[in-house]
Amino acid sequence: MKRPVRALSSGFWTCLGCRQLVRAPQADSCLCPRCGARMHGRVDGSIMLTWALTITGALLLIPANILPVMTVIYLGSGDPSTIIGGAMELYHAGLWGIALIVFVASIAVPVMKLVGLVMLCLMVQRRWDVSPRQAMRIYRVVNAIGRWSLLDLFMISILVALVDMGAIAEVAAGAGSTAFATVVVVTMFAVRAFDPRLVWDVYEEKVSAREAQVDENLHRENG
Amino acid sequence: MGQQSRQDTYSAAMPAGPEGSSARWQRACHQCDLLLTRAHAPIGQRLICPRCGATLHRNMERSVAHTAALSLTGLLLFIPTATLPLLEFSLFSFGAENTLMNGVQSLFAEGYYWLASLVLFCSVLAPVGKFLLLAFICWGSAWASMAKPVARALRWYHHLQEWGMLDVYMLGILVALVKMSDLGKMSVEPGLYCFVAMMVVSSAATVSFDAETVWARLARRAAAGNKGASGQPEGMS
Repeated sequence: MKRPVRALSSGFWTCLGCRQLVRAPQADSCLCPRCGARMHGRVDGSIMLTWALTITGALLLIPANILPVMTVIYLGSGDPSTIIGGAMELYHAGLWGIALIVFVASIAVPVMKLVGLVMLCLMVQRRWDVSPRQAMRIYRVVNAIGRWSLLDLFMISILVALVDMGAIAEVAAGAGSTAFATVVVVTMFAVRAFDPRLVWDVYEEKVSAREAQVDENLHRENG
Repeated sequence: MGQQSRQDTYSAAMPAGPEGSSARWQRACHQCDLLLTRAHAPIGQRLICPRCGATLHRNMERSVAHTAALSLTGLLLFIPTATLPLLEFSLFSFGAENTLMNGVQSLFAEGYYWLASLVLFCSVLAPVGKFLLLAFICWGSAWASMAKPVARALRWYHHLQEWGMLDVYMLGILVALVKMSDLGKMSVEPGLYCFVAMMVVSSAATVSFDAETVWARLARRAAAGNKGASGQPEGMS
Protein backbone atom coordinates (compact mmCIF):
# COMPACT_ATOMS: atom_id res chain seq x y z
CA MET A 1 0.00 0.00 0.00
CA LYS A 2 1.19 3.47 -0.80
CA ARG A 3 1.93 5.54 2.24
CA PRO A 4 -0.19 8.66 2.73
CA VAL A 5 1.41 11.91 1.63
CA ARG A 6 2.18 14.61 4.13
CA ALA A 7 1.71 18.21 3.12
CA LEU A 8 4.94 19.48 4.65
CA SER A 9 7.18 16.98 2.90
CA SER A 10 5.43 17.71 -0.42
CA GLY A 11 6.09 21.43 -0.08
CA PHE A 12 2.72 22.60 1.19
CA TRP A 13 1.64 24.45 4.28
CA THR A 14 -1.81 24.70 5.78
CA CYS A 15 -2.98 27.98 7.22
CA LEU A 16 -4.32 27.24 10.70
CA GLY A 17 -6.57 30.28 10.57
CA CYS A 18 -8.56 29.35 7.46
CA ARG A 19 -7.11 25.95 6.47
CA GLN A 20 -6.07 27.10 3.05
CA LEU A 21 -3.45 24.92 1.40
CA VAL A 22 -0.51 27.05 0.31
CA ARG A 23 2.66 26.23 -1.57
CA ALA A 24 5.48 26.68 0.95
CA PRO A 25 7.68 29.74 0.34
CA GLN A 26 11.45 29.87 0.85
CA ALA A 27 11.08 31.89 4.05
CA ASP A 28 10.25 30.21 7.35
CA SER A 29 6.99 32.08 7.66
CA CYS A 30 4.60 33.99 5.45
CA LEU A 31 1.17 35.54 5.52
CA CYS A 32 -1.76 33.48 4.34
CA PRO A 33 -2.89 34.84 0.96
CA ARG A 34 -6.49 34.15 1.83
CA CYS A 35 -7.01 35.26 5.42
CA GLY A 36 -3.81 37.17 6.16
CA ALA A 37 -2.79 35.21 9.27
CA ARG A 38 0.90 34.50 9.79
CA MET A 39 1.63 30.90 8.95
CA HIS A 40 4.45 28.41 9.39
CA GLY A 41 4.97 24.83 8.29
CA ARG A 42 4.39 23.81 11.88
CA VAL A 43 3.37 25.95 14.83
CA ASP A 44 6.44 27.99 15.72
CA GLY A 45 8.13 26.69 18.90
CA SER A 46 5.12 24.52 19.64
CA ILE A 47 6.69 22.05 22.07
CA MET A 48 8.64 24.67 23.98
CA LEU A 49 5.60 26.90 24.38
CA THR A 50 3.43 23.98 25.42
CA TRP A 51 5.99 22.93 28.03
CA ALA A 52 6.28 26.47 29.39
CA LEU A 53 2.53 26.91 29.73
CA THR A 54 2.01 23.41 31.12
CA ILE A 55 4.65 23.90 33.80
CA THR A 56 3.18 27.29 34.68
CA GLY A 57 -0.22 25.67 35.00
CA ALA A 58 1.12 22.84 37.16
CA LEU A 59 2.84 25.28 39.52
CA LEU A 60 -0.24 27.45 39.79
CA LEU A 61 -2.34 24.41 40.58
CA ILE A 62 -0.64 24.28 44.00
CA PRO A 63 -1.88 27.66 45.30
CA ALA A 64 -5.19 27.06 43.54
CA ASN A 65 -5.76 23.98 45.67
CA ILE A 66 -4.19 25.17 48.94
CA LEU A 67 -5.71 28.64 49.16
CA PRO A 68 -9.44 28.97 49.80
CA VAL A 69 -11.58 29.75 46.77
CA MET A 70 -14.73 30.75 48.57
CA THR A 71 -16.05 31.56 52.03
CA VAL A 72 -19.68 31.11 52.96
CA ILE A 73 -20.41 33.18 56.04
CA TYR A 74 -23.70 32.29 57.67
CA LEU A 75 -24.83 34.21 60.74
CA GLY A 76 -21.36 35.50 61.35
CA SER A 77 -19.59 32.18 61.21
CA GLY A 78 -18.10 30.15 58.42
CA ASP A 79 -14.72 29.04 57.35
CA PRO A 80 -13.05 29.39 53.98
CA SER A 81 -13.20 26.31 51.81
CA THR A 82 -10.77 25.13 49.19
CA ILE A 83 -11.81 23.48 45.93
CA ILE A 84 -11.61 19.98 47.38
CA GLY A 85 -13.33 21.21 50.55
CA GLY A 86 -16.23 22.53 48.50
CA ALA A 87 -16.70 19.22 46.74
CA MET A 88 -16.43 17.27 50.01
CA GLU A 89 -18.96 19.55 51.65
CA LEU A 90 -21.46 18.80 48.90
CA TYR A 91 -20.75 15.10 49.26
CA HIS A 92 -21.34 15.17 53.00
CA ALA A 93 -24.55 17.08 52.47
CA GLY A 94 -25.75 14.11 50.44
CA LEU A 95 -25.60 15.89 47.09
CA TRP A 96 -23.20 13.41 45.60
CA GLY A 97 -24.28 14.08 42.00
CA ILE A 98 -23.37 17.74 42.21
CA ALA A 99 -20.29 16.85 44.24
CA LEU A 100 -19.18 14.58 41.42
CA ILE A 101 -19.72 17.31 38.81
CA VAL A 102 -17.70 19.79 40.86
CA PHE A 103 -14.98 17.24 41.52
CA VAL A 104 -14.67 16.28 37.86
CA ALA A 105 -14.76 19.86 36.59
CA SER A 106 -12.39 21.46 39.03
CA ILE A 107 -10.02 18.72 40.13
CA ALA A 108 -10.03 15.84 37.65
CA VAL A 109 -10.14 17.98 34.50
CA PRO A 110 -7.17 20.29 35.27
CA VAL A 111 -5.04 17.38 36.43
CA MET A 112 -5.97 15.23 33.43
CA LYS A 113 -5.27 18.14 31.13
CA LEU A 114 -1.80 18.70 32.55
CA VAL A 115 -0.99 14.97 32.48
CA GLY A 116 -2.26 14.74 28.91
CA LEU A 117 -0.17 17.70 27.77
CA VAL A 118 2.97 16.34 29.42
CA MET A 119 2.37 12.97 27.75
CA LEU A 120 1.87 14.59 24.35
CA CYS A 121 5.05 16.65 24.68
CA LEU A 122 7.04 13.63 25.79
CA MET A 123 5.64 11.52 22.96
CA VAL A 124 6.96 14.01 20.44
CA GLN A 125 10.26 14.76 22.15
CA ARG A 126 11.21 11.24 23.32
CA ARG A 127 9.70 9.60 20.22
CA TRP A 128 7.66 7.16 22.23
CA ASP A 129 6.25 4.19 20.39
CA VAL A 130 2.63 5.15 20.81
CA SER A 131 0.07 4.81 18.09
CA PRO A 132 -0.65 8.30 16.76
CA ARG A 133 -4.36 7.58 16.90
CA GLN A 134 -3.99 7.11 20.64
CA ALA A 135 -2.15 10.41 20.88
CA MET A 136 -4.85 12.14 18.87
CA ARG A 137 -7.45 10.75 21.25
CA ILE A 138 -5.58 12.30 24.17
CA TYR A 139 -5.24 15.58 22.28
CA ARG A 140 -8.93 15.75 21.48
CA VAL A 141 -10.02 14.89 25.01
CA VAL A 142 -7.65 17.49 26.46
CA ASN A 143 -8.93 20.01 23.95
CA ALA A 144 -12.58 19.35 24.67
CA ILE A 145 -12.61 19.18 28.46
CA GLY A 146 -10.53 22.29 29.21
CA ARG A 147 -13.27 24.88 29.29
CA TRP A 148 -15.41 22.98 31.78
CA SER A 149 -13.07 23.72 34.67
CA LEU A 150 -14.31 27.31 34.71
CA LEU A 151 -17.51 25.92 36.21
CA ASP A 152 -16.41 26.56 39.78
CA LEU A 153 -15.46 30.14 39.04
CA PHE A 154 -18.77 30.90 37.37
CA MET A 155 -20.52 29.41 40.38
CA ILE A 156 -18.49 31.65 42.70
CA SER A 157 -19.33 34.75 40.68
CA ILE A 158 -23.03 33.86 40.83
CA LEU A 159 -22.99 33.18 44.55
CA VAL A 160 -21.05 36.32 45.40
CA ALA A 161 -23.80 38.42 43.87
CA LEU A 162 -26.65 36.25 45.06
CA VAL A 163 -25.78 35.68 48.70
CA ASP A 164 -24.99 39.14 49.87
CA MET A 165 -27.01 39.98 52.99
CA GLY A 166 -24.48 41.61 55.22
CA ALA A 167 -24.33 40.02 58.64
CA ILE A 168 -26.75 37.17 57.98
CA ALA A 169 -25.23 35.44 55.02
CA GLU A 170 -22.47 36.33 52.66
CA VAL A 171 -20.28 34.62 50.13
CA ALA A 172 -16.82 35.99 49.50
CA ALA A 173 -14.32 34.87 46.90
CA GLY A 174 -10.87 33.74 47.99
CA ALA A 175 -7.36 34.14 46.69
CA GLY A 176 -7.31 30.56 45.38
CA SER A 177 -9.88 31.46 42.75
CA THR A 178 -7.49 33.86 41.04
CA ALA A 179 -4.84 31.16 40.85
CA PHE A 180 -7.38 28.66 39.58
CA ALA A 181 -8.63 31.04 36.89
CA THR A 182 -5.05 31.45 35.72
CA VAL A 183 -4.55 27.68 35.62
CA VAL A 184 -7.55 27.30 33.32
CA VAL A 185 -6.48 30.13 30.99
CA VAL A 186 -2.85 29.03 30.84
CA THR A 187 -3.72 25.39 30.09
CA MET A 188 -6.18 26.45 27.41
CA PHE A 189 -3.38 28.37 25.74
CA ALA A 190 -1.09 25.36 26.19
CA VAL A 191 -3.48 23.13 24.25
CA ARG A 192 -3.67 25.83 21.60
CA ALA A 193 0.12 25.94 21.35
CA PHE A 194 0.49 22.21 20.84
CA ASP A 195 0.64 21.19 17.19
CA PRO A 196 -0.82 17.66 16.79
CA ARG A 197 0.85 17.30 13.40
CA LEU A 198 4.17 16.83 15.20
CA VAL A 199 2.86 13.50 16.50
CA TRP A 200 2.34 12.36 12.91
CA ASP A 201 5.74 13.69 11.87
CA VAL A 202 7.39 11.46 14.46
CA TYR A 203 5.27 8.52 13.35
CA GLU A 204 6.11 9.05 9.67
CA GLU A 205 9.78 9.28 10.48
CA LYS A 206 9.68 6.03 12.41
CA VAL A 207 7.73 4.19 9.75
CA SER A 208 10.05 5.27 6.98
CA ALA A 209 13.13 4.41 9.05
CA ARG A 210 11.71 0.95 9.73
CA GLU A 211 10.87 0.42 6.10
CA ALA A 212 14.33 1.42 4.98
CA GLN A 213 15.79 -0.96 7.51
CA VAL A 214 13.66 -3.98 6.67
CA ASP A 215 13.97 -3.89 2.93
CA GLU A 216 15.57 -1.41 0.61
CA ASN A 217 14.16 -2.59 -2.69
CA LEU A 218 10.78 -3.97 -1.71
CA HIS A 219 8.99 -0.82 -0.73
CA ARG A 220 9.73 1.96 -3.18
CA GLU A 221 7.50 5.02 -3.28
CA ASN A 222 5.60 4.67 -6.54
CA GLY A 223 4.43 8.15 -7.26
CA MET B 1 4.76 47.92 6.38
CA GLY B 2 2.34 45.06 6.89
CA GLN B 3 0.79 45.75 3.52
CA GLN B 4 4.22 45.67 1.89
CA SER B 5 5.24 42.32 3.32
CA ARG B 6 1.89 40.89 2.38
CA GLN B 7 2.38 41.86 -1.25
CA ASP B 8 5.83 40.27 -1.19
CA THR B 9 4.58 36.95 0.03
CA TYR B 10 1.96 36.66 -2.67
CA SER B 11 4.52 35.63 -5.25
CA ALA B 12 6.14 33.12 -2.92
CA ALA B 13 3.04 31.68 -1.32
CA MET B 14 0.39 31.14 -3.90
CA PRO B 15 -2.59 29.02 -3.02
CA ALA B 16 -2.13 25.48 -4.29
CA GLY B 17 -4.65 26.06 -7.00
CA PRO B 18 -5.24 24.89 -10.52
CA GLU B 19 -1.75 25.49 -11.91
CA GLY B 20 1.27 23.28 -11.32
CA SER B 21 1.87 19.56 -11.31
CA SER B 22 0.35 18.89 -7.90
CA ALA B 23 -3.00 20.43 -8.69
CA ARG B 24 -4.79 17.35 -7.42
CA TRP B 25 -4.13 18.33 -3.81
CA GLN B 26 -6.92 20.49 -2.53
CA ARG B 27 -6.31 20.64 1.19
CA ALA B 28 -4.41 19.09 4.05
CA CYS B 29 -5.80 17.86 7.34
CA HIS B 30 -5.06 20.53 9.95
CA GLN B 31 -4.45 17.91 12.62
CA CYS B 32 -2.33 15.27 10.88
CA ASP B 33 -1.13 17.05 7.71
CA LEU B 34 -2.47 14.40 5.34
CA LEU B 35 -2.86 15.74 1.80
CA LEU B 36 -6.33 15.28 0.39
CA THR B 37 -7.69 15.57 -3.12
CA ARG B 38 -11.09 16.67 -1.99
CA ALA B 39 -11.72 20.15 -0.63
CA HIS B 40 -15.44 20.16 -0.03
CA ALA B 41 -17.96 17.76 1.35
CA PRO B 42 -21.27 17.26 -0.45
CA ILE B 43 -24.04 19.42 0.98
CA GLY B 44 -25.36 18.14 4.29
CA GLN B 45 -22.29 16.01 4.98
CA ARG B 46 -19.04 16.28 6.83
CA LEU B 47 -15.54 15.91 5.47
CA ILE B 48 -13.58 13.70 7.83
CA CYS B 49 -9.86 13.03 7.64
CA PRO B 50 -9.45 9.35 6.69
CA ARG B 51 -6.29 9.00 8.73
CA CYS B 52 -6.83 10.79 12.03
CA GLY B 53 -10.59 11.26 12.00
CA ALA B 54 -10.61 15.03 12.44
CA THR B 55 -13.64 16.85 11.09
CA LEU B 56 -12.29 19.09 8.35
CA HIS B 57 -15.51 20.87 7.67
CA ARG B 58 -19.22 20.42 7.84
CA ASN B 59 -21.09 21.50 4.77
CA MET B 60 -24.50 22.28 6.18
CA GLU B 61 -27.42 23.05 3.95
CA ARG B 62 -28.03 26.82 3.66
CA SER B 63 -25.34 27.39 6.25
CA VAL B 64 -25.02 31.14 5.73
CA ALA B 65 -28.74 31.85 5.96
CA HIS B 66 -29.19 29.69 9.03
CA THR B 67 -26.19 31.17 10.79
CA ALA B 68 -27.37 34.71 10.05
CA ALA B 69 -30.81 33.94 11.44
CA LEU B 70 -29.44 32.22 14.52
CA SER B 71 -26.94 34.94 15.32
CA LEU B 72 -29.59 37.66 15.06
CA THR B 73 -31.83 35.59 17.33
CA GLY B 74 -28.97 35.29 19.77
CA LEU B 75 -28.38 39.02 19.78
CA LEU B 76 -32.06 39.68 20.43
CA LEU B 77 -32.11 37.10 23.23
CA PHE B 78 -29.13 38.78 24.82
CA ILE B 79 -31.21 41.86 25.66
CA PRO B 80 -33.62 40.13 28.10
CA THR B 81 -30.85 37.86 29.36
CA ALA B 82 -28.72 40.81 30.37
CA THR B 83 -31.50 42.90 31.86
CA LEU B 84 -33.75 40.38 33.60
CA PRO B 85 -32.64 38.59 36.78
CA LEU B 86 -31.54 34.98 36.40
CA LEU B 87 -31.92 33.69 39.95
CA GLU B 88 -33.37 34.94 43.19
CA PHE B 89 -32.18 33.98 46.61
CA SER B 90 -34.18 34.76 49.68
CA LEU B 91 -33.33 34.20 53.29
CA PHE B 92 -35.74 35.25 56.06
CA SER B 93 -37.03 38.54 54.73
CA PHE B 94 -33.98 39.39 52.70
CA GLY B 95 -33.77 38.77 49.01
CA ALA B 96 -31.14 39.22 46.36
CA GLU B 97 -31.21 38.79 42.64
CA ASN B 98 -28.53 37.68 40.26
CA THR B 99 -28.21 39.10 36.77
CA LEU B 100 -25.56 38.27 34.22
CA MET B 101 -23.57 41.36 35.16
CA ASN B 102 -23.82 41.85 38.90
CA GLY B 103 -21.70 38.84 39.76
CA VAL B 104 -18.93 40.48 37.79
CA GLN B 105 -19.63 43.78 39.52
CA SER B 106 -19.39 42.22 42.99
CA LEU B 107 -16.12 40.53 42.12
CA PHE B 108 -14.78 43.83 40.82
CA ALA B 109 -15.87 45.55 44.01
CA GLU B 110 -14.08 42.92 46.09
CA GLY B 111 -10.90 43.52 44.14
CA TYR B 112 -10.76 40.31 42.10
CA TYR B 113 -10.11 42.13 38.83
CA TRP B 114 -8.59 39.24 36.92
CA LEU B 115 -11.30 36.79 37.91
CA ALA B 116 -14.03 39.33 37.21
CA SER B 117 -12.67 40.13 33.76
CA LEU B 118 -12.35 36.45 32.91
CA VAL B 119 -15.94 35.76 33.94
CA LEU B 120 -17.11 38.84 32.04
CA PHE B 121 -15.19 37.81 28.95
CA CYS B 122 -16.32 34.18 28.89
CA SER B 123 -19.95 34.69 29.80
CA VAL B 124 -20.79 38.00 28.11
CA LEU B 125 -18.19 39.46 25.76
CA ALA B 126 -17.18 36.29 23.91
CA PRO B 127 -20.74 34.98 23.28
CA VAL B 128 -22.00 38.38 22.16
CA GLY B 129 -18.86 38.94 20.12
CA LYS B 130 -19.44 35.59 18.46
CA PHE B 131 -22.98 36.52 17.49
CA LEU B 132 -21.88 39.92 16.19
CA LEU B 133 -19.02 38.46 14.17
CA LEU B 134 -21.20 35.70 12.72
CA ALA B 135 -23.90 38.18 11.76
CA PHE B 136 -21.30 40.44 10.16
CA ILE B 137 -19.61 37.56 8.31
CA CYS B 138 -22.89 36.26 6.90
CA TRP B 139 -24.02 39.69 5.85
CA GLY B 140 -20.70 40.95 4.57
CA SER B 141 -19.82 37.90 2.52
CA ALA B 142 -22.51 38.90 0.04
CA TRP B 143 -20.31 41.69 -1.33
CA ALA B 144 -16.91 41.32 -2.93
CA SER B 145 -15.85 44.71 -1.59
CA MET B 146 -16.27 43.48 1.98
CA ALA B 147 -13.76 40.65 1.49
CA LYS B 148 -11.07 42.18 3.68
CA PRO B 149 -13.12 43.01 6.78
CA VAL B 150 -14.91 39.67 6.49
CA ALA B 151 -11.56 37.84 6.37
CA ARG B 152 -10.52 39.68 9.50
CA ALA B 153 -13.83 38.86 11.21
CA LEU B 154 -13.36 35.18 10.32
CA ARG B 155 -9.95 35.22 11.95
CA TRP B 156 -11.29 36.83 15.10
CA TYR B 157 -14.14 34.36 15.22
CA HIS B 158 -11.66 31.52 14.99
CA HIS B 159 -9.83 32.83 18.07
CA LEU B 160 -12.92 33.82 20.02
CA GLN B 161 -14.86 30.64 19.44
CA GLU B 162 -13.59 28.51 22.31
CA TRP B 163 -13.94 31.30 24.88
CA GLY B 164 -17.70 31.56 24.67
CA MET B 165 -18.77 29.43 27.62
CA LEU B 166 -22.50 29.82 28.00
CA ASP B 167 -22.93 26.08 28.52
CA VAL B 168 -20.37 26.02 31.32
CA TYR B 169 -22.02 29.05 32.90
CA MET B 170 -25.35 27.24 32.74
CA LEU B 171 -23.91 24.31 34.66
CA GLY B 172 -22.48 26.83 37.14
CA ILE B 173 -25.97 28.21 37.67
CA LEU B 174 -27.32 24.72 38.31
CA VAL B 175 -24.58 23.94 40.82
CA ALA B 176 -25.19 27.25 42.59
CA LEU B 177 -28.90 26.51 42.65
CA VAL B 178 -28.44 23.15 44.33
CA LYS B 179 -25.63 24.20 46.60
CA MET B 180 -27.49 27.08 48.19
CA SER B 181 -30.89 25.44 48.35
CA ASP B 182 -30.39 24.23 51.91
CA LEU B 183 -29.30 27.66 53.12
CA GLY B 184 -32.21 29.67 51.83
CA LYS B 185 -34.84 29.68 49.14
CA MET B 186 -33.63 29.73 45.58
CA SER B 187 -35.98 30.50 42.74
CA VAL B 188 -35.63 30.66 39.01
CA GLU B 189 -36.43 33.98 37.36
CA PRO B 190 -37.52 34.69 33.75
CA GLY B 191 -34.02 35.77 32.72
CA LEU B 192 -32.82 32.20 33.12
CA TYR B 193 -35.19 30.95 30.42
CA CYS B 194 -33.83 33.57 28.04
CA PHE B 195 -30.33 32.51 29.03
CA VAL B 196 -31.06 28.87 28.23
CA ALA B 197 -32.54 29.89 24.88
CA MET B 198 -29.46 31.98 24.12
CA MET B 199 -27.20 29.06 25.03
CA VAL B 200 -29.09 26.72 22.69
CA VAL B 201 -29.05 29.29 19.87
CA SER B 202 -25.35 29.85 20.40
CA SER B 203 -24.57 26.14 20.05
CA ALA B 204 -26.82 25.88 17.01
CA ALA B 205 -25.08 28.85 15.38
CA THR B 206 -21.66 27.30 16.03
CA VAL B 207 -22.77 24.03 14.46
CA SER B 208 -24.45 25.59 11.43
CA PHE B 209 -21.55 27.93 10.68
CA ASP B 210 -18.89 26.72 8.29
CA ALA B 211 -15.94 28.95 7.46
CA GLU B 212 -15.25 27.01 4.25
CA THR B 213 -18.66 27.89 2.87
CA VAL B 214 -18.02 31.56 3.54
CA TRP B 215 -14.61 31.43 1.84
CA ALA B 216 -16.18 29.76 -1.19
CA ARG B 217 -18.87 32.43 -1.23
CA LEU B 218 -16.27 35.20 -1.04
CA ALA B 219 -14.28 33.62 -3.88
CA ARG B 220 -17.42 33.44 -6.03
CA ARG B 221 -18.21 37.09 -5.37
CA ALA B 222 -14.65 38.12 -6.13
CA ALA B 223 -14.72 36.20 -9.41
CA ALA B 224 -18.03 37.78 -10.38
CA GLY B 225 -16.68 41.24 -9.52
CA ASN B 226 -13.55 40.69 -11.59
CA LYS B 227 -15.60 39.64 -14.57
CA GLY B 228 -17.75 42.74 -14.27
CA ALA B 229 -14.97 45.30 -13.90
CA SER B 230 -11.64 44.05 -15.19
CA GLY B 231 -8.46 45.71 -14.03
CA GLN B 232 -9.32 45.30 -10.37
CA PRO B 233 -6.05 44.81 -8.49
CA GLU B 234 -7.16 41.53 -6.96
CA GLY B 235 -4.25 39.41 -5.84
CA MET B 236 -5.67 35.98 -6.35
CA SER B 237 -7.79 34.45 -9.02
